[in-house]
Amino acid sequence: MSSPSCRRSVVAEVSQALAASAGDRAPLLRIDLCAQPLLPWQQLQRWQLLLLDRGLIAPAESQFIGRVRPLAGDGSPLTRLELEHYPGMTERQLQSLAHAAAVRHGALAVLVQHRVGHLAPGEAIVLVAVAADRRGPAQRCCQELLEALKHDAPFWKREWRQDGSSDWLAGNTPL
Amino acid sequence: MAVDPAPLGPHLRLRLFASLREAAGWGERHWPLAAAEAPTPRQLWQALALPGELLTIRVAINQQFASLDTPLQAGDELAFLPPISGG
Repeated sequence: MSSPSCRRSVVAEVSQALAASAGDRAPLLRIDLCAQPLLPWQQLQRWQLLLLDRGLIAPAESQFIGRVRPLAGDGSPLTRLELEHYPGMTERQLQSLAHAAAVRHGALAVLVQHRVGHLAPGEAIVLVAVAADRRGPAQRCCQELLEALKHDAPFWKREWRQDGSSDWLAGNTPL
Repeated sequence: MAVDPAPLGPHLRLRLFASLREAAGWGERHWPLAAAEAPTPRQLWQALALPGELLTIRVAINQQFASLDTPLQAGDELAFLPPISGG
């Protein structure tokens, strides 16, 4: 089920094994860091098949796709966005944040796909999807998890401009 | 960026990322510890004379967020993390 472009973390595997042994109510978590272009619709289709395979029927589903902006923070055209991470810690944090949000909202399943490396304007950076029993928990969990990973998962963005100059971003865009 | 070889005796592994790594000119190094020495991240930040304001930095010990005043032990991995911007 795993995309060749996305690396599934060992932490995720362990957590899923634990979740599976904890019974049907443990949320199904699927967390990947992707070094190659992230194609959200393909990933969502794979996720749907995974849910079907696990016998999960979710009446409500919420998704968020974040893409690279065309302009840098200073308004000049952006040529590419670089995303650095802390190998090991980033995967563990994503897993922990996804699990906490899913449990807090009673979500059935959570998908997080996050890019690392160099991205062109318009490319997908992040995909978050939440399956739940009702729209409220699905939407709230999706929004809360997105905010959590923006602030508490170790990623750093660097904007590259046409003249070859670049800047590391010192924070997130407003909500 | 070359990593210095790990010393034989008790030591910490130090990591820097993104803007902090580039400003400091190194991303990873080892810090030997004397016997019974348990420095905190705050003390190491000062000893290393790292650039920037510690107020804007978060620390991770063994890849988990931690307080600036947690005593470190031999074998720990300490990372200084500049402001995060993900998603």
